[in-house]
Amino acid sequence: MSDQPSEPGHAAQHLPTLESTAVEHTQSEPATASGSHQAQQRQRAIHLAQAVRHELQKAVIGQDAVIDDVLTALIGGGHVLLEGVPGLGKTLLVRALARCFGGEFARIQFTPDLMPSDVTGHAVYDMQSEQFKLRKGPLFTHLLLADEINRAPAKTQAALLEVMQERQVTLEGRALPVPQPFMVLATQNPIEQEGTYPLPEAELDRFMLKVRMDYPHAEQEQEMVRQVTRSTRSDMLDIQPLRTLMQAKDVLALQRIASDLPVDEQVLDYAVRLARATRTWPGLTLGAGPRASIALIRGARARALLRGGEFVVPDDVKGCALAVLRHRVRLAPELDIEGLSVDHVLKQLLDQVAAPRR
Amino acid sequence: MRLTDASVVIRPRTSWEAIDLGVLLAQRHRALLMTSWAIVTLPVFALLTLLLWDYPSVAVLVFWWLKPAYERLPLLILSQALFGSAPSLRQALKSLPSALTPQLIASLTWRRLSLSRSFYQPVQQLEGLDGLPRAQRIAVLGQKDPRAARLLTALGSTLEMTFWIGLMVLFYAMIPPQIEADWSWRSLLDIEGEWNWLEHLTNGFYALVLIVWGPVYVSCGFALYLNRRTALEAWDIELGFRNLRQRVLGSALALLLGGFFALTLLPSSVMAASASIQSMPEEIPSESGNSCPLPPLDNPQTDEDVAPPDSPRLLNQPLTSQASQNAIHAVLEQPPFKNPKPVSGWRIAQPKHDAQSAETPNWLARLVVGLLNTGKTLSAVFGALLWALLGITVAWVMWRYRAWFATFVGKSPPKATAPQDIPHQLFGLQVRAETLPTDVADAAERLWQQSPREALSLLYRALLSRLLTDYQLPLKSADTEGQILARIAELKQPPLDDFSHELTRHWQNLAYGHRLPPDQARQTLCSGWRKLFAQGAGA
Repeated sequence: MSDQPSEPGHAAQHLPTLESTAVEHTQSEPATASGSHQAQQRQRAIHLAQAVRHELQKAVIGQDAVIDDVLTALIGGGHVLLEGVPGLGKTLLVRALARCFGGEFARIQFTPDLMPSDVTGHAVYDMQSEQFKLRKGPLFTHLLLADEINRAPAKTQAALLEVMQERQVTLEGRALPVPQPFMVLATQNPIEQEGTYPLPEAELDRFMLKVRMDYPHAEQEQEMVRQVTRSTRSDMLDIQPLRTLMQAKDVLALQRIASDLPVDEQVLDYAVRLARATRTWPGLTLGAGPRASIALIRGARARALLRGGEFVVPDDVKGCALAVLRHRVRLAPELDIEGLSVDHVLKQLLDQVAAPRR
Repeated sequence: MRLTDASVVIRPRTSWEAIDLGVLLAQRHRALLMTSWAIVTLPVFALLTLLLWDYPSVAVLVFWWLKPAYERLPLLILSQALFGSAPSLRQALKSLPSALTPQLIASLTWRRLSLSRSFYQPVQQLEGLDGLPRAQRIAVLGQKDPRAARLLTALGSTLEMTFWIGLMVLFYAMIPPQIEADWSWRSLLDIEGEWNWLEHLTNGFYALVLIVWGPVYVSCGFALYLNRRTALEAWDIELGFRNLRQRVLGSALALLLGGFFALTLLPSSVMAASASIQSMPEEIPSESGNSCPLPPLDNPQTDEDVAPPDSPRLLNQPLTSQASQNAIHAVLEQPPFKNPKPVSGWRIAQPKHDAQSAETPNWLARLVVGLLNTGKTLSAVFGALLWALLGITVAWVMWRYRAWFATFVGKSPPKATAPQDIPHQLFGLQVRAETLPTDVADAAERLWQQSPREALSLLYRALLSRLLTDYQLPLKSADTEGQILARIAELKQPPLDDFSHELTRHWQNLAYGHRLPPDQARQTLCSGWRKLFAQGAGA
């Protein structure tokens, strides 16, 4: 930790010194937090988060809400399932995030013949040393892009279960931890259901947020077309000019600061009531489990930090409730037949569950 | 026309049987009918096509419109063929002009669209009736079978369309696939000439279809007409009598001869008696045709001759016969004489004869009727039960799924009435105007000394109350502070917006961040409140 300032590729090169030192402080002296010092740290963390957001918005145009959600998951220490029709910049967003974030980045293109060992790694026999050596799979990274995750069969999808929940991979009977922070960004395509394997509930539940990408607004799309056609790449936005703003340690610090944000009992109660309401709500056959309540609070903390707030308000919970809940509930068949979507029913639910009482 | 010469069996038939007969009739003379039809219509069609080359639709319309004129010749041929020998083609064509001329204008104008055309055609063509006599004749004929005649026409037009389309499809099927690949309707449409020949070709298909169907249609109408006349004029009975006469004529002659000889051989003593009988007719010369005299009328002047009910003498009386007749009719219409009452139920049919049928004894019939009536009562009870069950089921379903209904059904009406039922509690805060002090700002300032939390709560409550009542904002208990601020922003009132933001910030800091507001906030908030709601503070 102490060698941090000497690292050549560190974000501090590009950032105002204030922010980089803030991150330094949060890491080097976590125990000596006096009230004002903590507030200072928090302010710097907020600046850093907002700088990353601003940087991402330059690369991914017209998807501000999605960027917020992805950053929420990053700060909240969760995983994200991105869903959207092709061409909305799902992969671009993840690559841009990896670019802003100085850590390691790996990408797995899920295909029907992908095996679990292709993901986690396997033991190979080394002729020279005459013993088995472990070859680590692409899982051992900070940011993992699981592209088109629903194209792989259930066996391979299940290989992700352990690493997503426990942040470790068991290879040849040995539990190997993955580097921290670890975040899975999976993408899937809502159309083209031919030859896909829908994610099992257990897998879905491990994603903190399921984010829907929608088409951008007209003027944003115009802006995007203008920029893309100007760039040297044929049909993609260039992510080269993005600055590397933070390292793995900075992300860990952000996560810690976010988890330190105070949450009032009423707000906590509101989040739990929201999750519990899905279990008895008419129109939903399957409600959200306790992971949903946890994800709601973690998401709310992260959003509060992104917002620049110093504590969590009910708006933070409500803001991430849709993304947290939509993949954890199942719509009643009669409403499905009527053409209602999960989002529609969840919005009704959010409109009826009373906000915190004081 | 001699009935005995008819080539069909004359007997009353149902109307559809008659139409069937018409088809058979047309089938028997098909060669003659179709040839003559083709000779008449095809030149007309060719002429129309040439004249209206640029307007194919008009050509086929005119050709179709002239159909009654073509139908004259088949009827002529059929009428001659029925009661005698069928004319040759040459004879038929020679007699066409004479058959064509009468009432042609009427047929082609106001009678053109009559659906019973073929049924009434013989009236004007064979009977030669026109005007009032024709109308009366048609009224008599049309008492029974007009529906069949109309259906025949409708069926005919359907058949024509079917065959026409069938021919077109056949033509299309004949096109080799190589050419069909280039078959583009657009290009055909673009080239004027090519499109026209195709139209005229399809028109020609219609002319071909008519060659087959036209004579059949006329023949069916003619058969219907014959059938109606058979029923009206009892042709079958007449034929029966004629046959009887033919059969009996020989034996009657023998009988007469036998009688004559028997009389001449009788003794002469009887001759006087017979002479007196023969002299009887001379006594009543006026009744020469009758064999028996009429009884003499002892009083030729009946009562009616003296004073009929409508004679003026009786009409001028205080009680006229008219009035008394009316009174009698009125009395006769009333209950003791007439007592109409609808009664429904099962009962034994009244036997036509007094004789009881041996198979079903009386008691059995009564039992069956009794059972049937009981069943009727039971069915009424059962029906009522079912309706009640349905009602109960609906009520139960509504009660069972009341939560579901409350959530998903009828969401919009409550929204419309939102201003009326203002929530009294938001986030657990009492927001009704009655629960607030009259001067909110003063009360808040006073409260601030003891507990700033109470003061802020009071201010926020008062703000929500104002938003609900003064600004009619549809706030719900599920709305968070941020959503309320967004709604306030929609009002586009910067002072209110600023004040609300400030108040909400302090309120959230206190409620969720557990931070006491700075002291100067009291001053800004209370003065802000006074500025905004000064005039309504006492409300």
